[in-house]
Amino acid sequence: MLKKIIIQVAFFLNASIRYKQVKEVAFNFLQNQDYHYKKYFDTFMILLIIVSITILVYEVKHDVPQWIDFFDIYVVTTIFTIEYLARLWVYNNWHTLVVKEYGESKFLNRKFSLWKPTRVILKEKLEFILSPTSIIDLLAILPAYRPLRVLRIFVLFRVFKLLRYTKSINQFLGVLSSKKFELFTLLFLLMFITITAGIAIYVFEEKGNDNINSLFDALYWALITISTVGYGDISPVTPEGRVVSMVIIVTGIAMISFVTSVIVSSFSEKLTELKENRLIEEINKSEEFMIICGYGQMTRMFLKSYADEYNRRYIIIDKNKEIVEEAIKEGYRAIHEDASRHDVISKFNTDYAQITLLALTGSDIANIYITLNAKAISTKIRVITRASSDNIAKKCRLAGADSVVMPTLIANRMLFSAITQPIMYRAIYAILTGQHLAQLDEVNLIYHRKLVGKKLDDLKFKEHKILCIGLQVGASGEFIFNPPLRLYLQEEDVLLIMGRKVSIEHFKTLYKEIRYVV
Amino acid sequence: MLFRQKAFMFGYSTQRLFLAKELGYKLMGFSIVVNDEQSYNRAISDGYTNVKLLDITDDRALEELPINDNDYLICVMDDHYLNVFLTLSLHSLFPKAIVVALSDSPHTTQKLKMAGASKIIDLYQVSANRIHNILHKPVATKLVERLLSSDEDFSFKEMEIPKGSSLDGIMVDDFDFTKHGVILLGMIDKRLSNQFIFITSGLENRFDVGDTLVCIGYNSDLENFEEFIQL
Repeated sequence: MLKKIIIQVAFFLNASIRYKQVKEVAFNFLQNQDYHYKKYFDTFMILLIIVSITILVYEVKHDVPQWIDFFDIYVVTTIFTIEYLARLWVYNNWHTLVVKEYGESKFLNRKFSLWKPTRVILKEKLEFILSPTSIIDLLAILPAYRPLRVLRIFVLFRVFKLLRYTKSINQFLGVLSSKKFELFTLLFLLMFITITAGIAIYVFEEKGNDNINSLFDALYWALITISTVGYGDISPVTPEGRVVSMVIIVTGIAMISFVTSVIVSSFSEKLTELKENRLIEEINKSEEFMIICGYGQMTRMFLKSYADEYNRRYIIIDKNKEIVEEAIKEGYRAIHEDASRHDVISKFNTDYAQITLLALTGSDIANIYITLNAKAISTKIRVITRASSDNIAKKCRLAGADSVVMPTLIANRMLFSAITQPIMYRAIYAILTGQHLAQLDEVNLIYHRKLVGKKLDDLKFKEHKILCIGLQVGASGEFIFNPPLRLYLQEEDVLLIMGRKVSIEHFKTLYKEIRYVV
Repeated sequence: MLFRQKAFMFGYSTQRLFLAKELGYKLMGFSIVVNDEQSYNRAISDGYTNVKLLDITDDRALEELPINDNDYLICVMDDHYLNVFLTLSLHSLFPKAIVVALSDSPHTTQKLKMAGASKIIDLYQVSANRIHNILHKPVATKLVERLLSSDEDFSFKEMEIPKGSSLDGIMVDDFDFTKHGVILLGMIDKRLSNQFIFITSGLENRFDVGDTLVCIGYNSDLENFEEFIQL
């Protein structure tokens, strides 16, 4: 009976879109580093932790009003508990496992056993519960239990809980963990010298020194001396003891220098990587951005002309370190990576952001590979690829490029027009570069809803000093050049118009109305 | 249709084969000038008969070329130093010829301008503009691509109003282009100036003999319209 209910609930949850949406929202707030609004949740939690720590520390010596105590016990603790349970909830999907196991059992005609998926689910949940961050989260709830004052020491775990929300501390720990071997070696060496020196001083001074009464005193003295702190509460009195002091002071200085150099070197090694990761994290928060692969002449020209328009919503990736440094020096956002690698493009928020990738390296082969790589990661990424010839352009399109740019072909066509039809060339140049006298512009009905259902004739293009060049029909994508004025505009149509900038802006303002997609 | 212009193309690299082919096909007089034997042999084997091999740094050799006023001199040498030098030489030797040059950076563009090039096409600037247009005006970009492509049945056309044309003396606003299936983008109104005026600029223009119209449309409609204005 219970098994039947569990299966029914699992199937219900598996089919419920609402449940999935709610769980996804919870996951985004708790776990998804690329989620735009996560930072607000993190900031709220940090503030809550700081407030609760302040209350608990203040309470040590002072009486606090009852409402503050109430706030700490009930509000803060409830939020921490809900957060902990929510994290446990989003860690895995039990219903998926049950449904999968049930389906397989039916398919293989074997008896469905609830134990198999339950074991996997419990194992995974236990994995979560025993992870260091979850232990900290759980222990951070304990200080709320007032009858046991000793539990207040767990306030420290509320401080540790801050680690979850502050990236810089995590990054610091990450850098240290990369030098785990060196740091552990030094720690063992430190322990060895401290114990040896402690035993030596104990042997030499136990009788003649009133301050050294036990091995613990000797070890305490050795640690204080080797760390170069030297409180002075215990000092050697025998010549042998002083010799031991001199040796461990020199060793201590050497070890401190060694530890410092290990930490500094690990930071300098990781600094570029940290900076680049920060850059990726920052850009991943944008809803729309551009990845430019290759910092060659075309990228330079593109950014020189349009970087302001993209308002920092772009990132350059180049394999050549010197070129990346040059790009950074010129004020652009660049990282030293290989865009043809799967893990590099996967770092970007392909699920939530609208990404355009420009494959503009000087090598056709690299551009095709980058295109394939991007499309393999997500077909949602819009790719514009540079190609040097028609054959390469064909291959780029096969690889999935949405548009192909051939500099040579464009230049050749422009040269050809400049010679054979010079007046037309001037007109095209003016139109392409968007000069104030004439611009070719698009009016997308998604953003100009007031135009939906209107007859072209009623739009009085002539009065607005606008030319209607064409119409892209929304549903089919068919382009109608010089559309008949009897046509009615429909949703998602795109009108192609030409005119002075001021006329186009005025026309667009008249009909602007955005359709919000929920 | 053959164009009346005469053009000399300096340089014949693999990237300019298409341009040479198009120009050779469309222009009444087209010559290729190269300064290395390899390019010379390639041009000959590609079927061009009017190919000259000469030292383009030598002014006396350049002077011997049959270049007249208003001829087009296309500087597309792969070596950009040489391209700037050639532009300067041609401009000083044939000041009334029209020098069209290809550039690969804003710095080269500036130097070519100073050297006297009348029209400069910056390879990367036009590509950068194209990328920007693809991103922001995809429909418009597709249309311009169609207009520029020689394979499409859809293009721009410049046409001069001849003597006795039915258009002579008609105000632009009074003429209905829609029944001809073409769109008038702009014109050179000789009465006012020699500048190209976009039809959307708001000026009241009149069609007169000698004015040049720039229209877009399907090739058949453009040809029919050209015939119409001859009447």
